[in-house]
Amino acid sequence: MRLLTDYMLSSNIKGVTNGFPLRLEVEKSVEKEVDFNADFLKNMFPKIEWKALVDAFRSMGYTELPNEAESPMLDSKEFLKKFHHALLQLHLEEGALICPETGRRFPVSKGIPNMLLHEDEVFDEVYQIESQF
Amino acid sequence: MNSLLRTCQTPFRPAQREACTSERSLNGTRRIGWSIRSGVGRWRRLMVSATMGTESGLQKGIAEFYDESSGIWEDIWGDHMHHGFYDPNLLASVSDHRSAQIRMIEEALSFAGISEDLLKRPKSLVDVGCGIGGSSRYLARKFGAQCQGITLSPIQAQRAQALAASQGLADSVSFQVADALEQPFPDGQFDLVWSMESGEHMPDKTKFVSELARVAAPGATIILVTWCHRDLSPSEESLKPDEKKLLNKICDAYYLPAWCSTADYVKLLQSLSLQDIKAADWSEYVAPFWPAVIRSALTWKGFTSLFRTGWKTIKGALAMPLMMEGYNKNLIKFAIITCRKPE
Repeated sequence: MRLLTDYMLSSNIKGVTNGFPLRLEVEKSVEKEVDFNADFLKNMFPKIEWKALVDAFRSMGYTELPNEAESPMLDSKEFLKKFHHALLQLHLEEGALICPETGRRFPVSKGIPNMLLHEDEVFDEVYQIESQF
Repeated sequence: MNSLLRTCQTPFRPAQREACTSERSLNGTRRIGWSIRSGVGRWRRLMVSATMGTESGLQKGIAEFYDESSGIWEDIWGDHMHHGFYDPNLLASVSDHRSAQIRMIEEALSFAGISEDLLKRPKSLVDVGCGIGGSSRYLARKFGAQCQGITLSPIQAQRAQALAASQGLADSVSFQVADALEQPFPDGQFDLVWSMESGEHMPDKTKFVSELARVAAPGATIILVTWCHRDLSPSEESLKPDEKKLLNKICDAYYLPAWCSTADYVKLLQSLSLQDIKAADWSEYVAPFWPAVIRSALTWKGFTSLFRTGWKTIKGALAMPLMMEGYNKNLIKFAIITCRKPE
């Protein structure tokens, strides 16, 4: 699971108002080669809350990017390469995504996050089971 | 096998439910029958059959069904787990089916008026009920877009991701195990919200459609292709008893908790103030599909593969003639419903 994906997910547990972005708990991460696309990165940059992403980078052990970033930095190829690496090439294989408000762990296994909510985390009517036995 | 007859639960949120009537089932246990009609009603408790159990029981059933059966499907039919779109009255050969499945995607995009223009095309999309990611990968490749896919089946999500990686799309598509009724995305995330034959699994159509609308960005298009039952006539309260009986049997085999009509979906979309709502009945264009699937199950490969899977898959295979019966009786409709979220 790339950090970009992590950034696009949110916790929808009932009552949570601030379920985005999810924090990372890293047990195993890998690096995967992805083609560099400067235009894509430049388009993504304004949509990203940099501070949240930096926390995610650091969780993955990547410290090459600054705590703050401004759009003029996108002119630097070096910056773009590091941004590319962190956003797209760092993959969380095993670990969890953490709801920022409740601390609830959404497990990540083999790179796939499991975002299913438990029954008590969902706003819904009470379901009754009518047994036919 | 103790196959429990049940009434598929009403698919609507309490505010849209009508009064219920109770009736005695064959073995004398009380079960509640619902009439499926839109309109504002009082808050009620939903009754779910014992086999489906709670919503988490349904989720588990769906996940296990697809964990078990996706491999054999992919083996025989490839990575698209939906109906093909065929020219009516044309005999389709085995090799036509794959291109028919691709055509289904293209026809749906065309019906919804999705532009291929570089500036207007969708840049981010969600595939709700993504299977092993056939649509996700196709759309991501077609539009050069980022795609998120969600499925209840961990096996499907793994397979979808592996296929994406092998096709050089790992940087464009990602898959999660998640619930379409509680999509794990912030509001307004996607330019295109895609649901290809997953709506049938949703126990609560109101919540399902609300989530589709919630994650759609302003101006985004929602494309919903799903199995519905026929529209009710103005004088009808509900489907006829024999129609309900047939649908119940199909519900059981495919973990479909509820059916509604195309008109019901249109009313739901209208209630959410979505625009440009269009709907069509594509049943005639998918007619060759179920006979073809049945034929594939009866080949040596299909037959032996089925027995290597499990009971859920076999039960699904045995229910295929019921689907044909439903279509032939004009009870089951293959529906496409599209709309746009206001800017």
